Amino acid sequence: MDINGRYFKSYLERQERLKDQSNAENAKKQHSKGKLTAHERIDLLFDNDSFEEIDAYVTPENQKYSFGKIKKSYGDGVIAGHGKVNGRLVFAYAQDFTVMGGSLGVVHAEKIAKIQEMALKMGAPIIGLIDSGGARIQEGIASLAGYATIFHNNIQSSGVIPQLSVIMGPAAGGAVYSPVLTDFTFMTNHTSYMFVTGPNVVKEVLNEEVSSDELGGAEVHARKSGVANMIYEDEENTILGLKKFLSYLPSNNVENPPVVIEEHQKPLTIDSLRDIVPDDPNKPYDVKEVIDQIVDCNSFFEVSEHYAANLVVGFARLNGHTIGIIANQPKVLAGVLDINSSMKGARFIRFCDAFNIPILTLEDVPGFLPGMDQEHMGIIKHGAKMLFAYSEATVPKITVILRKSYGGAYIVMNSKNLGGDFNFAWPTAEIAVMGPDGAVAILYRKELAEAEDPDALKKDLVRKYRDDVANPFIADERGYIDEVIDPATTRKKLITAFEALQNKWTKTPSRKHGNIPL
Amino acid sequence: MPKSLLQRVSKLYANTSGKNKYAFSLPIEDKIKVGRTAFDIKLKEDDKLGTYILWKNRKYPVEVISQKNNKFEILFNGVSYTYTIETPISMKRLKFLSRKKGASDIETISAPMPGKIVDILVQENAEVRKGEAVLILEAMKMQNEIQSLVDGKIVSIRVRPNDNVMKDELLIEIKKS
Amino acid sequence: MKRILIANRGEIAVRIIKTAKLMNIETVVIKTAAEPNAMYLAMADVVFDDTDDLSDIPAFLDIEKLIEIALKTEADSVHPGYGFLAENAYFAQKCVDNKLTFIGPSPDAIYKMGNKTIARKLALKNDIPMAMGSKGNVTSEEQALMVANQIGYPIIIKAASGGGGRGMRIAWHDEELPKMFNLASNEAAKAFNDPNVFIEKYIANPKHIEFQILADQHGNVIHLGERECSIQRKHQKLLEEAPSSALSEELRKEMGEVAVRIASAVGYYSAGTVEFLLDSAGKFYFMEMNTRIQVEHPVTEEITGIDLIEQQIRVASGEKLQLKQEDIQLNGWAIECRINAEDVQAGFAPAPGAIDKLIFPTGENIRVDSGIEQGSTIASNFDSMVAKLIVTGTDRQDALINCKKALGKVWIKGIKTTLPFFRMLVREPQFISGQFTTAFVEKEMEKFYFSKEEDEQIAAWLATKLFVDEQIADQDRNVDFEQGKRINPWILNKRLKQF
Repeated sequence: MDINGRYFKSYLERQERLKDQSNAENAKKQHSKGKLTAHERIDLLFDNDSFEEIDAYVTPENQKYSFGKIKKSYGDGVIAGHGKVNGRLVFAYAQDFTVMGGSLGVVHAEKIAKIQEMALKMGAPIIGLIDSGGARIQEGIASLAGYATIFHNNIQSSGVIPQLSVIMGPAAGGAVYSPVLTDFTFMTNHTSYMFVTGPNVVKEVLNEEVSSDELGGAEVHARKSGVANMIYEDEENTILGLKKFLSYLPSNNVENPPVVIEEHQKPLTIDSLRDIVPDDPNKPYDVKEVIDQIVDCNSFFEVSEHYAANLVVGFARLNGHTIGIIANQPKVLAGVLDINSSMKGARFIRFCDAFNIPILTLEDVPGFLPGMDQEHMGIIKHGAKMLFAYSEATVPKITVILRKSYGGAYIVMNSKNLGGDFNFAWPTAEIAVMGPDGAVAILYRKELAEAEDPDALKKDLVRKYRDDVANPFIADERGYIDEVIDPATTRKKLITAFEALQNKWTKTPSRKHGNIPL
Repeated sequence: MPKSLLQRVSKLYANTSGKNKYAFSLPIEDKIKVGRTAFDIKLKEDDKLGTYILWKNRKYPVEVISQKNNKFEILFNGVSYTYTIETPISMKRLKFLSRKKGASDIETISAPMPGKIVDILVQENAEVRKGEAVLILEAMKMQNEIQSLVDGKIVSIRVRPNDNVMKDELLIEIKKS
Repeated sequence: MKRILIANRGEIAVRIIKTAKLMNIETVVIKTAAEPNAMYLAMADVVFDDTDDLSDIPAFLDIEKLIEIALKTEADSVHPGYGFLAENAYFAQKCVDNKLTFIGPSPDAIYKMGNKTIARKLALKNDIPMAMGSKGNVTSEEQALMVANQIGYPIIIKAASGGGGRGMRIAWHDEELPKMFNLASNEAAKAFNDPNVFIEKYIANPKHIEFQILADQHGNVIHLGERECSIQRKHQKLLEEAPSSALSEELRKEMGEVAVRIASAVGYYSAGTVEFLLDSAGKFYFMEMNTRIQVEHPVTEEITGIDLIEQQIRVASGEKLQLKQEDIQLNGWAIECRINAEDVQAGFAPAPGAIDKLIFPTGENIRVDSGIEQGSTIASNFDSMVAKLIVTGTDRQDALINCKKALGKVWIKGIKTTLPFFRMLVREPQFISGQFTTAFVEKEMEKFYFSKEEDEQIAAWLATKLFVDEQIADQDRNVDFEQGKRINPWILNKRLKQF
């Protein structure tokens, strides 16, 4: 073919026109809002020149029944394609706010659906970079149908390939459901928001003045609703975080997670682990310090950091292998389990289980949060989610009891009989039906009431209770704990234990799916 | 070869909370310009002193207190400095956001030190004045009055008396008036 | 005296052990759960292990237990140090009852001087100059308002059994008095188990001058000159010096005599401290007497050459003072910086943590009193002291130069300390001039920490460099996706069959 010939000329012209669409003016508009353009985001996400776009030249449908103006444009407001992230195949779509506000029309939706289906076929992760005004009003029912297809694809892919959503602008109405159907949602502070009904509707219906940020900003979703798993201050850091996050995940549910071998391996014995948990059972400490010391250097990636902070969850690497960590956080609400933390934990455990990520549980839990509020809101069924998720999970599961482990919470936190593969305890562990104070008050109510010096008697009984009942050695001797270990050796013990469990397989009964108490 | 953020920009800024910003061209050199002269600077480490900075032939102790994403707290010669590292694009974004929003109107009070809440002197929805004591935190046998830094209204109280709190734990949120 | 139980910890335990060693006396110390690796433990002759006790109240505050430990370890005497039970008359009495020599004054003197209301009565009777105040305790807001209006604002509310700045509140007008009264009373109740407070005229912007007293059980009382303690924040002393640049020889003599008079009036023996406020006109007012060894005692030791702990022990064993007032010569100048684990930039908030590196300069004119070593942890259970850096010189100017040099050479890593504060202080012209009052730190110092102009830029360079390093590390991290695909056939087979 002649490069100066007719066919080639129109080929080049089209290319020119496409380039012109993402012109400097549009970019400036986007930048002036503190946002990057869709192209810049894609560029930042993928390895050098590895992104291959598909359907770049599609145009919005000419519809008989359309209402209002539709701007003719190539791509219909979304970039879709595949490329390499850190050298691995990843599919992605990025909505382009500069084209009709990134609104979702029929063609736009078809493009997303197509890339979703491709990702599922190939068994590769898919990332949605969302920046869209919502359904394209002009195209009516057709655009709603488009959403439904996308949701259906989300659900079909769930548990098969990792799906990540990054909110980098508005996501309103139906658009919010795709991100929550995916595995993890990232948000950028101050420039992204998500809500089912926007501030205008809230004003009309309830006569409440509320800003987009207050109603569904990144902070709100990170702290209050738990919808956003990771938030960052700007888009560059959001995408950097996303790339780092991806490095923990396998491409699909058949593969194992990738392995990262660091040049400088941490020593296996870490003496400072002995100093973190205070002797006084009522003193708080930061369980993240324990995590940081056990896992590979700087490898802990926390998920949902600001939501239900009394339970810490996240990914880390142990000797280069990805593990999922669930840890009670004594620093917040004494690490108690409540509705929010149970849901947070349960969802995380199920993700790990779906994608062959072994689970490490670090336990220091005084129990479930008592009170009317929690009971009425259904802590029974929400707590059961965590129980269900732990028991259902077939990946390797190891628990280390750091300190408190009482009552129902002991059972829930991956106890031996719930299917824990290895259950270790530190010498500081207290395992019993309830805490010493409560137990003594119930068992010796009469004696305490009649005692001359009830305080002294109580102190005595509490001590006896700790010595005779609430210590790890009793549990160890009866086999409910596999071993009481020196905290300093925790890293070594865990590496060896996870290695031994590497090829663990348990057969689950044939069923369509279990019935988790939702 | 994966493309990093660094290949996209030619310089980075260390932005302080005190409105100063320091630009550094990439790649980072072991030199700092003070006025018109550039001086050598070196980050070193030995067993006796730990990590230190060698600057104008003197050694200064230095440590990283915290590092998260692009936020850093550095303790240099006993004094702490906090920065966010920004690219030229994110600097623009910061400028834009500060114009758009001004500062957040919610002021938070967090625990300046680990300790125990002895008493809470205010209630939710109460109006407080700048400098008014809002709660008493006992730490190291001292009862410390924690004061409001702004005039405003108490939005939420996150702790109860006798709670043990960690450093930086959120105690009270105040909406500035 | 053969064996002393030290009912204390940290720096002062170390200090007492050092003198006891020189005097060939054995020491007993207590090992607590909060700091089972403390430095003082390694130096003592006998260590009593109390690590089983996990209660909130440290053994150093448990009178019954301390007596029990003393008897069990066959100690014949008890040194209380400072803080904890050092000024608890009941404890002193318990020691006496159990035939243990209490290394300090008599229980009676502790009680009288510890109860500020009695102390004031005693002072009034002996013509000791004092600021006016309430007659006895003030028990209600109404009474507080009345008294305050009688003596005139500003007034200070103090805990009747307090000390060390706790339970103290200043009120400047009627509106804030009730709040301050209640705060002081609550704090007193919590800190000292005694909600009683009294009110005094508040002397704005005075100097805090205290006199070191030494007395024996035979009626001999002398003073060892004054200490200047005006560098304080929220009534907590930060830096002390001896002597004070504010005192002329005549004033020193006059104040010293008053100090000796009040000590004699209460039948005092052992080492003690009489605190005064000195106003700008040179008028001084008696505040209180501390019936213990003070944190800042080393500055007096440095300029008098007298070991105060040794004197305490000698007096306690009944010896007569060998020193006469005319023997006491003040030579040179001494400055003590209390290096604490505190975050100066966050309002001097305690900043406990592990100390990675701790290097102090050494030299003729440098003394470091510390109970902390490299690798130790400053626990939040106790005070935040890291060390006392005591620097001497031929005169104030010389001492200041030496102090500035020494501060520049202290190397601490792992925790935030008050070091930057002192580095700033020794550069403050007003501090250097000596013309400062107790309000100086809080009201007049503009910046609480020393930093050079380029420091922020240097730290910025490091932050940027670390950011870049991390980006490069992230980029170069060898994520091996292939290994995730190489799965043991046993598990792969089962995994595939599952679907």
